[in-house]
Amino acid sequence: MSIGVRASSLPLWRQPWMINSLVTVASVLVCMLLLPSRIPGMELLGVAPHWLLIWVVAWSIKRTQWEAALAGLVLGLLQDAMTAPTPTHTLSLIVAGVLTARLQKQRYLQEDIVSVALIVFAMAVIAETVLALQISFDQLLSANSLYPPLGRIWMYHQRVALSSAILSSLWAPALYYPLNRWWDRYAAEP
Amino acid sequence: MFALRRWWTRHALKAGMVTLAISSAWLMRADEGAVIYETYHWLTRPLQPGMSREQQFENSYILELQQRIVELENQNRSLQTLNDYEAATLLDGVRATVIGRGADHWWQHVILNRGSRDNVAAGHVVTGPGGLIGRVVAVSPSTSRVLLISDPTSRVGAKVSRSRAMGVVRGQSNNRVVMEFFEKLPDVKAGDVIVTSSYSRLFPQDIPIGRIESIDLTKSPAPEAVIQLSSPLSILEWAIIHPFEPQETVDLPVLPGATPENGVIPESGDGVRP
Repeated sequence: MSIGVRASSLPLWRQPWMINSLVTVASVLVCMLLLPSRIPGMELLGVAPHWLLIWVVAWSIKRTQWEAALAGLVLGLLQDAMTAPTPTHTLSLIVAGVLTARLQKQRYLQEDIVSVALIVFAMAVIAETVLALQISFDQLLSANSLYPPLGRIWMYHQRVALSSAILSSLWAPALYYPLNRWWDRYAAEP
Repeated sequence: MFALRRWWTRHALKAGMVTLAISSAWLMRADEGAVIYETYHWLTRPLQPGMSREQQFENSYILELQQRIVELENQNRSLQTLNDYEAATLLDGVRATVIGRGADHWWQHVILNRGSRDNVAAGHVVTGPGGLIGRVVAVSPSTSRVLLISDPTSRVGAKVSRSRAMGVVRGQSNNRVVMEFFEKLPDVKAGDVIVTSSYSRLFPQDIPIGRIESIDLTKSPAPEAVIQLSSPLSILEWAIIHPFEPQETVDLPVLPGATPENGVIPESGDGVRP
């Protein structure tokens, strides 16, 4: 993404980079407001789509790994704000973003909706695994850990990872398509 | 120096935006997401259900009342032999509607539409149709976040109402919780009612939790029982928030000489019970 000060004759709120940032921030806000809601049809075994993960994947697909890591950090902090600071979500979202950015997409995958859904599926599993690993380390290392024994953590991880991956990949196009269209249009503008 | 200035003229905007994004995310985290939940509250306001579906909870209500009766009968029996009996301290609370669920799959949270504006504070106890639901962990002006007792990190001191066998109830992320007993051979059987115990520091005593479904006495290190929660946590639509002062300060190390009588720490408020 190239942000440069262009078309400086326009007022601040009409400048393309300003509009682009506003749209980007608004899309993150929409994702965060969707997180606590359980709209009928968006729920499987009590698990909802991981909207922030879909956003990170949509952001990272055409960007460098540093931009992806940054998005993962910011959105992870935001999700920590909405749940609890430990175990942190920054790690799982950064891993998901960097892996997406590093994927050799031009060689293996096209940028169509099906491959985006596939990437989201894999990243959802990876993100939940990173969280489960953090919980397992906490359970192993700290003496008075509140978490259940390892067997139960990983049993729960299976359930959560699978339903989160299925739901997130199904809903991924709903977020990826408009966001990608917008970013493409913004990048194409002179 | 020149290279630095050239870098700055080229990347000032980018660097500024990166700093802005990270710092605002950090601020929101320090704020425990209050801004987000306030926005969520105002946006979902037209969708928040009224009290129209109460008949759905009638069954849970009856169950709760039955369990309360069992508990009262047992209390009565022990009262005849006990003089220094202490009344349950569950105060009347405010009614709140469930407007959201946990923003993550690993925590069992619900979001209620009452917050610090209605004098709700962290530590307050939440009950609903069927008995105990959880405790408030964070508040914003008009929402509060409740950690459900089904959360794996939640611990509730509990007892078997019939035999007074004590234990700790742990969440399992579903509608069943596990109770670990303190004794090796507790006097329990399937169908027994479980209520919060007077040893619980975070919850007042004698709130119904559920019924024992199965018992595993051979479990090591402590015998365990699976408990079916009596409140339908997955379809919960409203709850009642009761003011309660948790005794979290009990664990703090107390300096010798500074200990007041009977170990009561004066700062822990007026909700302190022995």
